[in-house]
Amino acid sequence: MKAVKSLFRNPPLLTLVLVALVWLVAGLTLSGFGAYGHLRYLLELAAVIGIAAAGQTLVILMGGIDLSVGAVITVTAILVPLISPAWDPTGLVGVALALTIATGIGFLNGAGAAYLRVPPIIMTLAMATFLQGLLVVVAGGSAVTVSNPAVLLLGQARPLGVPAGILLWLVVSAAVLLIIHRMPIGARFLALGANPLAARLSGVSVARNTLILYALSGFFAGLAGILVLGMNRQGYVGIGDPYLLTSIAAVVLGGTSILGGRGTYAGTIPGAILLVTTTALITVVNASPGWRSIMFGTLILSLLLVSGREARR
Amino acid sequence: MSAVSSSGWLYGAIQSRRNRGLGGLYLVVAAFLVLYVVLFPGILSVGGFSKFTQNWFPLALVTMAQALLMLNGGITLAIGPLVSLGAVIAATTMGGVFGVPGGILAVALTGLGIGAVIGVIVAQLRLPAIIVTLAGSFIITGVALLLLPRPGGFIPGWLSTGLAGHTPVAFLLLVLILLLWKVFLATPLGLGIYAAGDNPIGAFRSGVPVERVKIAAFALSGLLTALAGLFVAAQTGSGDPVIGAPFTLNSIAAAVLGGVGFLGGKGTMRGAVCGSLLLSVMINVMFFLGFPPVAQYIAQGLIIVGAVAVPELLKQWRARR
Repeated sequence: MKAVKSLFRNPPLLTLVLVALVWLVAGLTLSGFGAYGHLRYLLELAAVIGIAAAGQTLVILMGGIDLSVGAVITVTAILVPLISPAWDPTGLVGVALALTIATGIGFLNGAGAAYLRVPPIIMTLAMATFLQGLLVVVAGGSAVTVSNPAVLLLGQARPLGVPAGILLWLVVSAAVLLIIHRMPIGARFLALGANPLAARLSGVSVARNTLILYALSGFFAGLAGILVLGMNRQGYVGIGDPYLLTSIAAVVLGGTSILGGRGTYAGTIPGAILLVTTTALITVVNASPGWRSIMFGTLILSLLLVSGREARR
Repeated sequence: MSAVSSSGWLYGAIQSRRNRGLGGLYLVVAAFLVLYVVLFPGILSVGGFSKFTQNWFPLALVTMAQALLMLNGGITLAIGPLVSLGAVIAATTMGGVFGVPGGILAVALTGLGIGAVIGVIVAQLRLPAIIVTLAGSFIITGVALLLLPRPGGFIPGWLSTGLAGHTPVAFLLLVLILLLWKVFLATPLGLGIYAAGDNPIGAFRSGVPVERVKIAAFALSGLLTALAGLFVAAQTGSGDPVIGAPFTLNSIAAAVLGGVGFLGGKGTMRGAVCGSLLLSVMINVMFFLGFPPVAQYIAQGLIIVGAVAVPELLKQWRARR
């Protein structure tokens, strides 16, 4: 009993146990679900959500929210093929340029939130609307095929049988966990999320940390965009749309408070895997789009009831 | 006698104080309206005015629905899907045995019911409103798709011409709804929505049933949203399971343009309705001036940020002086 109670007080662990349970039950009842190749594929899909949710976790920890994640993913996925210079055989220049642009978009979000005092939800939503319009101008609405070798390597290579996307996710996870839990700047983020006024009075610069956070969120969304481009080999308008809801849901499923100040990326990781598994299970059940949408919403809601509840105030 | 006049004076003072900070908004709305009249004098005829208010009416309703929740400290991202569901239910039930009254009742009950369920989940189960409504939007979209997989259904012709013909019925309905809101604000429940949004603990200690108020706010918001869907169905003459999509962002944008804050208790319904009028005029002007849809997106993003940032910057500048 005591073990169960302490489990419910540790959301990251709880989400991990949920994932294990779902995988166990689905693996025993559905043929092919438990195959190594299928589970590896699920993790590869979860890597995109996980990387996009890395920035989202940081922003939410500080009490903000980034609703432009989907748009930034689309922007990078469409820009990389367009801006990769032909003289560069490695393709790294194109990747670096795209990541710079993504970070710049995040920086603008942060500047709007910090200096213009626009609420983050409005700032990032307006940014997403703005980017949507801009993309149609730039890309003309058609899909672009990628030939950038670095991007293709990231999306398709399997060193030692492990997809490169999963390796990238491991690196990102380690970096984000380090930032949050082992570096002074992570403590500042958490302090700002828990009590902005107290943090400011203790000498934490709100504007500077807001800028850094939203720039980081843009950077991670750009990284996710490059990964998704490599896996798809094609970029098109709308490619990033599904990742907006899932990035926020993964964070909340992992037990991070949407109000900021409390949580960890360690919960977002199983949260992302749980979401991908749920979607995969819904695709297995052969249902009409209407039913699929209902099941997705209901499952997210019931998962949230287990692990995403705010404490009674 | 003197008591009445002094309370009347107090009422006037409070009301004028609630207008503070909205002066700029009123000016901008007036300027845009003048520009509109200069560009399209047709709006001054009864038919033109009717058409104009009919384009504004559903946005005004969903903005009220959103502002109601934001004043209470909540938010909903399920506006668009609920508008679609309202339209779909109207289009599928009005041809049935109970006819138009049955259809209107079905739409109203669905809106109230869905809103109340979301409210119960948010208030009693302590889940953040933004996530619940995001997940709920998937469920509502699914239900709308199941009821009517592709645009169609049936709306009686007389209802369409009655609501969206050449008479300003929509405008009169809006005035009626605003009057009802005024009356509602005078009830304990109406005041409780503001109080619980501004300071939940203080409201609770003063005897406001904070949780019940929150559920009521979500239910009312659902009702307004579903009725907006009914109107859209009457306007287009059919139901469409995805027609409401743009309303989610626009409802938030209009409420924020109107000075309603995210943290609850801050803002007024008159501001929100003005915000929706401004947004509606801007969309109309850009459409008639032949802006491509892309430029409309870009301009809308810029205008929303500007509308929030400029008053904030002015306030900072004044504070520094």
